[in-house]
Amino acid sequence: MIELLTPSRATILQRANPAFKLVLFIVLFLVTVQTRSIDFAINQAAVYTLLLFILGGFPVRKTLLIVLPFMLLFISSSSTMILFGKGDTLWWQWGLVRITEESFYRGIHLGFRSIAFAAEGLLFVSTTPSVKLFYALMQSFRLAPRYAYSFMASIRLLPMVWEEFLIRRQALQVRGARIRGKGLKGLAEHIRMYAVPLLSQSIRRAHRVAVAMEAKQFEGQGGRERTYFYPSRICWIDGIVLMLLVLASFAAYAAALHFPWLGITDVRYHA
Amino acid sequence: MINHGTAGKGGDTVAASVTELRLKFPGEGSFIFKDLSLSIQKGERVLLLGPSGCGKSTLLQILGGLIPHVIEVPLKADEIIVPASRGYVFQDPDTQFCMPYVDEELAFVLENRGIEREHMVRQMREVLDAVGLHPDELHVPVDSLSQGMKQRLALASVLLLEPEVIFLDEPSALLDPDGRKQMWEAVWHAAEGRTLVVVEHRLEEIADRMDRIILFSPDGSIIGDGSPEWIFRTFRRELAQYGIWYPGVWENFIRLMEIRQAEAENSASRSGLTPLLALKKYTGFRANRPVIYVEAAEVYPGDFIAVTGPNGAGKSSLLLSLMCLLRFSGQYVLCGEGIPETAGASRKRRKKVCPPSDRIGYVFQNPEFQFVAETVQEEIGFSLKNPGMTSLNQVDETSRRFIRSFHLEGLEQRHPYQLSMGQKRRLSIAAAVVCGQPILLLDEPTFGQDARNTFAILDYCLEMQAKGAAIVMVTHEEGIVRHAATRVWEVLDGVVNERPDAGLHEERRVGT
Amino acid sequence: MNHALTMEKRKGLRLSDLLVTILLSLVIGVVYHFWGSVYDLFKPLFFQADELVYGVWFLAPTLAMLLIRKPGVAILAEVAAAHVEIMFGSEWGIQLVLYSLVQGLAAELIFAVFRYRSFRMGTAAFAGAAAALGSLLVDVYYGYVTDYTLWMMLFKYALRIVSSAILAGYLAFALAKALEATGVTQLLRPVSKRDYEALDHD
Repeated sequence: MIELLTPSRATILQRANPAFKLVLFIVLFLVTVQTRSIDFAINQAAVYTLLLFILGGFPVRKTLLIVLPFMLLFISSSSTMILFGKGDTLWWQWGLVRITEESFYRGIHLGFRSIAFAAEGLLFVSTTPSVKLFYALMQSFRLAPRYAYSFMASIRLLPMVWEEFLIRRQALQVRGARIRGKGLKGLAEHIRMYAVPLLSQSIRRAHRVAVAMEAKQFEGQGGRERTYFYPSRICWIDGIVLMLLVLASFAAYAAALHFPWLGITDVRYHA
Repeated sequence: MINHGTAGKGGDTVAASVTELRLKFPGEGSFIFKDLSLSIQKGERVLLLGPSGCGKSTLLQILGGLIPHVIEVPLKADEIIVPASRGYVFQDPDTQFCMPYVDEELAFVLENRGIEREHMVRQMREVLDAVGLHPDELHVPVDSLSQGMKQRLALASVLLLEPEVIFLDEPSALLDPDGRKQMWEAVWHAAEGRTLVVVEHRLEEIADRMDRIILFSPDGSIIGDGSPEWIFRTFRRELAQYGIWYPGVWENFIRLMEIRQAEAENSASRSGLTPLLALKKYTGFRANRPVIYVEAAEVYPGDFIAVTGPNGAGKSSLLLSLMCLLRFSGQYVLCGEGIPETAGASRKRRKKVCPPSDRIGYVFQNPEFQFVAETVQEEIGFSLKNPGMTSLNQVDETSRRFIRSFHLEGLEQRHPYQLSMGQKRRLSIAAAVVCGQPILLLDEPTFGQDARNTFAILDYCLEMQAKGAAIVMVTHEEGIVRHAATRVWEVLDGVVNERPDAGLHEERRVGT
Repeated sequence: MNHALTMEKRKGLRLSDLLVTILLSLVIGVVYHFWGSVYDLFKPLFFQADELVYGVWFLAPTLAMLLIRKPGVAILAEVAAAHVEIMFGSEWGIQLVLYSLVQGLAAELIFAVFRYRSFRMGTAAFAGAAAALGSLLVDVYYGYVTDYTLWMMLFKYALRIVSSAILAGYLAFALAKALEATGVTQLLRPVSKRDYEALDHD
C-alpha cells in the first residue's frame, strides 16, 4: 500500500537533505499560493509535472497513472468557480449558472494552481520517505524527539492495521455479518464493525510500543544530550537541487512574462 | 520513605524489592496485591510463576520501574527499590520496536543514551552477536525477521542499555518451538553475570536454569518461594491447577486420552463412512499466486487432524482456502456437494461462492477479530439468527446451552472484549460451532495460552470429535500433535502431505 | 504507614498519549485517503452533493479528543491524518498541512472553550462544525471562495457544516462509545484520587 509510492529509480532529489528539501518545497508552495497571474500558474503546473516525470523516480507509465487524476482535480477545483463565480462580463447564463469572463479565468487559474500544488507535493513525497523526513525534522528543526519518534513508530505500525483489516473482512464473511438497518444507522453499524476491533487493537499496540520505548530509556533520564545515528549534512547535491528548483520556477515565471498565454495578471474579483 | 530508582540503598545485595505493596486496578473490586513484600538479590535468576491474572506481569513492571512512572496504576508501598540500570523484553514481538530497520532500532537506544555516532555500529554488532543474530548487513527491515529473531533483537537492544537487571515478560510465549529454544539460548548467554527476573508459564526450557521460583496464588499472595526442585516437589497440584506448562504437564491428558480411546474402540468402527471433505489436485491462490497445494486428501467424521509446518509454509492459507476465502482450483467436495472452482472464474460466478459457514466452523487466531456483537449472549446467538434458521426462542435456548457448556455463565451481558484470554478463546469457539457444523477449522487456537486454557480447548475439540465432527487444527504444540491428533498434515513450502506414522489411533486412518 | 506513589505529574501529553493519538489518526488518515473516491461518487448526485460527506475529513480530531481527552490532541490528530494522505500521494499535496492545522485548531478551540471537560455528542458536533469553518478560512485564503456568488458560498458551506456536525460529531461520538465499551480506553484514562483512596480500604 505504502510501497505504491516507492520510486523505482534513484534521482538526485532522493539524495538531498530532507530538511533542506522541505524548506525548498515550502518556498515553492508559497510562491504558488501567492500566484495571481494565470500564465504563471499554467507554467508552474507544466514545469512541476515535467519535473515529476524526470525526478520523481517512477517509470514513465506509472507517472502517467499518477498524473491522470490531475484532470479530475482540475475539473473539481475549477468548476464551481467557473459556474458560480462573481464577474461582470457575462458570457452565458442558465438558471443559477452564470459564467462570466472573470469567473471563467479565475476558475481556470484555480485548476492549474491545484495541479501545480499536486505536482509539488508528489515530487516531495515520492522522493522523501516519512522516516527520513521526521528524523530530519527532529535533527534540523528541533522537533521534539517525542513527536518525531511517535510518528515514526506509528508509521511502522500502520501496515499491521491494514493486515488486520483484511483479516477482519474475512472474519465478517465467515460470520455472515450482514449490515442491519439502513441509512445513517446502517452506515454507523458498518463502520463500527470494522472500527472497533481495528482501533481498539491499535490503541493497545500504540500503548505497548510507547511503554517499550520508555523502557529503553527514551527521555527516561533527562538532561542527557541526544546523539543522532544519521548525520545531517548539506552537500553539493543540495546545491544542485536548489539550483534546479529555482531555475524551474524562474523559467515558469520568465516564460509567463515574455510569452503570455492569456496575459491576465490578477484573477481576483475587483468590484 | 518512598524511594525508587535507587538500588543499593536497601543494602548492596538487593537488586529490586517491594515492601508492603498494595495495588488495585481502577474500578475493580479486589486487590491485585495486598501488603506484598518481596526482594530480589543481585545475581539471582528469579522466575515469577502463577495463574493468569495473578498479577505477576504487573509486579514485574513495578520492579522494573515501569509502574507507576510510565504506566499509571494506583499503588502504595512502604518502599520500592528499582535497579538503577535495567532492561525489559516484552511478550509481543510486534510492539517493541519503533523504527523500521534493525540498525535504526538499535540506534534509537544508543541515541537515548547519548552514545557518539562513531561508536554506534561497533556496539550494534557486538550485541547482535551476543544474541546469536548475524545479519550480513545492519540495514535490514525488522519485519523481514521471524518472530523469534525479533525477540532476540529486542534482547539485543536491551543489552545496549548495559543493564544490571534484565526483566523478561513471557518473551517466548508467542514463538514457535524453534524460536523459543533460540530465544532462551540467547537469554542464557546474555544474562551471564546479570540479575534476571522472568515471568513465564512455559517451563521446559527454563526450569533448570533458574535459582529461585516465586509461586503466586490466584489472589496475588506468595505461596511458595524457593528452589525449582522444591517448588516442583511441593506444589505439583497447584502448578497443574494454575495452568503452568511444567514438565510432565501432559501426563494427565494422556491418561484421559487412553480412557477415551478405549471407549472409542468399543463403539462402532468408523471406516466405510463417506468423507465430510474431499480434495483432489487442489490449489489455493493468494493474489493469483498458488500458495497451497493438496494432491489428494479426505477428512472423515471423527478425525482430529493437526496441521503442522514452519511459519509461512501455507498452513493458514490452507484453512482460508477451504473456507473459500482464497480462490482455489481443483476438486473440492464438501459434505457430498462439489464446490465450483473460484480461481479463474468470472466475477459473477465467484460472488456466488460464499464461505460455507453452515458446514464449517472457523476459529481465527485472534478471537477479537471474529467478534461481532456487544455482549457474550448476542455473540453466540449471532450466527443462529442469520439465514432465518430458527425462532427467537430456540436461539435463546441454544445460546444458553452453549454458554453453559463453554463455562461462560454469569458473563452473558459482558462485552466480549472485556473477557479474559481464556474466556475470549472459549467464546470464539462457541460462536463458531453454535450452528452444529460437522467440520471445525482452528488456526493456532492454543497459541500463547496457558496449559489450562489449552486443555480446555482440547476438551471441547475432543468432545465434538466424539460426537462425529472433524477437527482440523493448525498448531505448533508438539503435545497436541503427539497426544490429541489422530492424523497429521505436514505443510512444507505450500504442499500438504499426510505424515504416515502419526497419531494415536493409527488403525482408524482411512482413505489414501 | 503506607505511602501513595503517584506519578510525577508531567505537563501535556505522555508518550503513550502521543503514540495512540498518532496511530489512530494515521488509521483514520487511510480512511481519509479512500474517502476521496466516495466524495467523487457523491458529486453527480446534485450540485455540491459532495459537501454532504465532507465531514469525514474532520473525524480524526473529534474522535481522538473524545478518546484521549487531553489538550493538543485534536490538532495533532488532524495533522497526523493529513500526513497519511500526503504520504499516499494525495493530489492535494502539501496544502493539506495548512488545512489540517487550521481545521485541527478550530476543533481544538471548541474543546478548549469547554475546558476539556465536556466530551458529549453536542460538543463533538460543535467541534466538527468548527473544523468545517476552519476549512472555509483556508478556502478563502487561496480558493477565492469569497468570489463565489453569495448564495453559492452560503449553500456550499452550510452543507459542509451540517455534514461535519453529523459525521465528525455524531459518528465520532458513536465510535468513541463503542470503543469505550470494549474497555480499551482504560489504558488512556488517568488514575483518579478515588482510586488511590480505594487502596486504604480492605
